[in-house]
Amino acid sequence: MSTGAPPRSSRLRATSRWVAVRHRGSGTWAYVANRITGLALVGYLYIHLAVLSLLARGPGSYDRFVDVMRSPVFLALDVVLVAGWVIHALNGLRLTVVGLGFGVRAQRTMLIVAAVAGVVATVTAAVLLFGD
Amino acid sequence: MTTDTRMTEAASPFATRERSSTAWLWQAASGVALLVLLTVHMVAHHFVVEGGLRTYAEVVDYLRSPVIFVVEHLFLATVTLHAMLGVRAVLFDLGPTPAIERRITRWVTGVGVATVVYGVWLLWAVVR
Repeated sequence: MSTGAPPRSSRLRATSRWVAVRHRGSGTWAYVANRITGLALVGYLYIHLAVLSLLARGPGSYDRFVDVMRSPVFLALDVVLVAGWVIHALNGLRLTVVGLGFGVRAQRTMLIVAAVAGVVATVTAAVLLFGD
Repeated sequence: MTTDTRMTEAASPFATRERSSTAWLWQAASGVALLVLLTVHMVAHHFVVEGGLRTYAEVVDYLRSPVIFVVEHLFLATVTLHAMLGVRAVLFDLGPTPAIERRITRWVTGVGVATVVYGVWLLWAVVR
């Protein structure tokens, strides 16, 4: 009797293909990068909410925490966060455009533009954060 | 080639079969909305107040602005929708059975609703 589910071997193949990006095009690498940065940003969303919950405890807890966040280590993590966000946003925009069927032949060019813009935005964020 | 097939293939090189594009369209639309909302969020946080929001008092004053209060609610709902659809899409790429897909959808919906409820409670708790 058929359950409508693909066989186990097929499911395992699908799972392994997700991480097997070697010998595949730049589009696949970009797609996987978008997944990884996306999952990291989901993690950050919950860290951010946990941090903001300190606001409900009053000024003492929050202001002490913000003082810790001004250390160079946390500023460096902020730069990593900006890099992840910019990569995810620009590459996601490219995936959306290509997914809607526009500029499919220019997808590699768009990827290069997104990468360069990402580097510029990250460096700018680093200068602003550490120069402040 | 139908639009749906083209979208599935272009958006996911790992897609094993054609799926409804509704979730994908919501994810794309919420992603574009986030570009605007996150830009407003970051500019307001770091540039509207000189030196950025650094103290409890500054954050509370900022959130008490009616426009910002609405924008932050929209931001919370949009980012949660985008995040949950993203997690769902990543898990669907792993090739689960239809029964597990339904369970994943229920699970991410529950987590998303809980996240928005908690965020809204927090916003109101801070400004009151």
